[in-house]
Amino acid sequence: MRRQLTHEFQNLIDRGRDRQLRLAVTGLSRAGKTAFLTSLVNQLRHAGIDARLDLLKSAREERLLGAQRVSQPDLGIPRFPYDEAMTSLEASPPQWPEPTRGISELRLQLRYKTRRARGLLGDTATLTLDLIDYPGEWLLDLPLLEHDFLSWSEAQLKGMGPARQQYAQAWQDAVAKHSADETVEESRLAELAAHYADSLRQAREAGFSHLQPGRFLLPGELQGAPVLQFFPLPGVGEDDRQALEALPASSLYQVLKKRFRFYQQHVVKPFYREYFRRFDRQIVLVDVLGALNAGPERFEDLSQALATLMRSFNYGKRSLMNRLFSPRIDRLAIAATKADHVTPDQHANLVTLLESLLAEPIKDLRFANVPVRAFSLASIRATEPREVESDGKRQAALRGHGLDGEPLLVYPGDVPAKLPEPEFWRRQGFAFTPFRPAPAGPEALPHIRMDAALEWLMGDKLR
Amino acid sequence: MSDPRPGQRFTFDEPPTPAEDASLQAARAYLPTQASDPYTAADDHDSPALDAAIKPPRKRRWGLMAVLGGTLGLGTIEAAQSLYISTLGGDWLAGAWSLVGLLAVGLGAKALCRELWRLRKLRRHARLRQQLDDEWVGGEAATDSNPMTLADELRSQMGLSKDHPHWQSFLHAHQTHHTAQETRELIAHYLLHPRDQAARRLVTRMSGETAVMVAVSPLTLVDMALMAWRNIAMLDRIAALYGLQLGYASRLRLFREVLRNMAFAGASEMVSDAGMDLLSMNLAAKLSTRAGQGLGAGLLTARLGLRAMRTTRPVAFERDEQPKLADLRREVWQQLRRLDDSAEKR
Repeated sequence: MRRQLTHEFQNLIDRGRDRQLRLAVTGLSRAGKTAFLTSLVNQLRHAGIDARLDLLKSAREERLLGAQRVSQPDLGIPRFPYDEAMTSLEASPPQWPEPTRGISELRLQLRYKTRRARGLLGDTATLTLDLIDYPGEWLLDLPLLEHDFLSWSEAQLKGMGPARQQYAQAWQDAVAKHSADETVEESRLAELAAHYADSLRQAREAGFSHLQPGRFLLPGELQGAPVLQFFPLPGVGEDDRQALEALPASSLYQVLKKRFRFYQQHVVKPFYREYFRRFDRQIVLVDVLGALNAGPERFEDLSQALATLMRSFNYGKRSLMNRLFSPRIDRLAIAATKADHVTPDQHANLVTLLESLLAEPIKDLRFANVPVRAFSLASIRATEPREVESDGKRQAALRGHGLDGEPLLVYPGDVPAKLPEPEFWRRQGFAFTPFRPAPAGPEALPHIRMDAALEWLMGDKLR
Repeated sequence: MSDPRPGQRFTFDEPPTPAEDASLQAARAYLPTQASDPYTAADDHDSPALDAAIKPPRKRRWGLMAVLGGTLGLGTIEAAQSLYISTLGGDWLAGAWSLVGLLAVGLGAKALCRELWRLRKLRRHARLRQQLDDEWVGGEAATDSNPMTLADELRSQMGLSKDHPHWQSFLHAHQTHHTAQETRELIAHYLLHPRDQAARRLVTRMSGETAVMVAVSPLTLVDMALMAWRNIAMLDRIAALYGLQLGYASRLRLFREVLRNMAFAGASEMVSDAGMDLLSMNLAAKLSTRAGQGLGAGLLTARLGLRAMRTTRPVAFERDEQPKLADLRREVWQQLRRLDDSAEKR
């Protein structure tokens, strides 16, 4: 108990002195959160030795001394599996780190020389960086907190495009056999919920991202619990609210509503309270290329998912008071990951496309006066840019290895600066090739613009 | 909107010829769309014409040039003619005079040419600076100009050899995926930062010297001469640090530029600084009138130096990196104090 208190006190002092930074690494599943975190730890560990961090000012001025992983504040949460990720990158053949299946935490302590000597305090200082990794699927539960069961059901079924509808059709047909006021058996309920989860899973396979509830896709320790046995009710709307509320407790509507509330209160809320309320900086990772590959409807779906998602965070200017008691995100980076999968001349377009994807949240952020910057980023660079002589023209190309290990020399295609017409996908479409990581050695991992992102996110704390 | 180009796969053997690669053949079908792909954004070539239209007409002093050229030309002809006649007539003295005249004309022409040449260099420097600013700061990285070629131009202008350590560390840090803005940041750090420091040291030293000299000089006229001499020397050296060789005309032009900057662009800065300057001058004047005068001259020199740095630096300073007068003020003042102290001891 006493230790806990001293720990909390130390945290409070650090926060008061602005020597602690909680960085939110936000991204849906497969956006590259784990790779980002692995690379972040790796780069900072190698800072000042062989990491190429020239766009990070403190590193360029040779003031950054390095970083150490220290024991995290909450011992009940697993540590971020950095070593495991590095092992899979160093394996032969190298592999991308395993996708995250649960929450993990990481605390890094950075040491740097200050620009000016600080009198008695000496000329080195430390900055504590707290990072959290979690499955991207769960993130989409956060917007659930804004809804009650009725409005959620409505929103779920209304937002579906024709392609998405196709995966939900079978489940909808099954649910249509029951009405909101009848009493449905427990086993039948479980069956329908499983059916719903199945439809979500299929939609994810097909590239959709706006899928709720997230625990249906990745239940973690809740596998099989009745709290995960609910689903949106089709065919009900705001107009029927009074009639539905009057239904007996055993009716389908009331049972589902109760479970939905339980899910909100006991699954989503603690997750939000524990991990998502107290952030100072945020980076939103988006797999733009994956969305381009998947087509216009999925692209729109991703855009919506991110927009609703970003409403769950607190943005605004910081002051001492709210730094201590209700931290807010006062600076934000948005990044199109996997930038190494296109040639360098396409990066500008990638960034423009990302900005148009996040147009709505960016407007809100501008309104809140929170600075945002877009990056094209590759946490772990898997390819090398090359040039090829073809048709008498110099042509940019990428050299790397496909996921199956086949050596490739490709021009992956243009990235459009704005989203093409849906017609374009029928005609040509995109096919960005996935690459496997380059063999990792003892030196720092190669990257694209990690240093610039770090400078933006915490450069002002490393002075 | 033209469609984005599709992907293309290359074989590994050296330059893949289109004949052996089927996928390349297929890519050929898209050639019409390639004509307007982002690589060859060809539509910003009309901007020079627009610029020229907007800019005030450039004054060419044709009359002056004609008179100057005519005088030089006619003088040469006359001197040559009289040399010829005097050699025929055996009038050696007249011949010698015309020889001297010829020599004078030759020297004048040479000086004029050199001035013109240096003026041209200044103009080229200004153009490079403009390019670096426009294309790098504006974010609109023109796709047809590679940031690396601009960097290389800058390197050669600054007189760095290809294996100078600063250039080498820049090359080491630079990566192909860096945007123009990022390249600019790296250039500023690896190539210009060392020069900035040298220039700052120079400004501090020379303004301190001026302050001391003015403080000890007995006559106002001497003060003025000293100021002019030190200021022009400082301007020269700062320009040389940033890769500019100044002739008389280019120096004048730069001087004018700097003065204009100080008068107009720096007006707000002057307001904020002047209060502080006045305060410290008053303080100094209370101690000794001479020191006060010296401090004033020193600060003026320092400000001119900082302005000159800003004007001649090939890449404009970032806002927080700009050298400030406040940093120099104390140093100048300390230099003067030392002088005052040693005078009192005597």
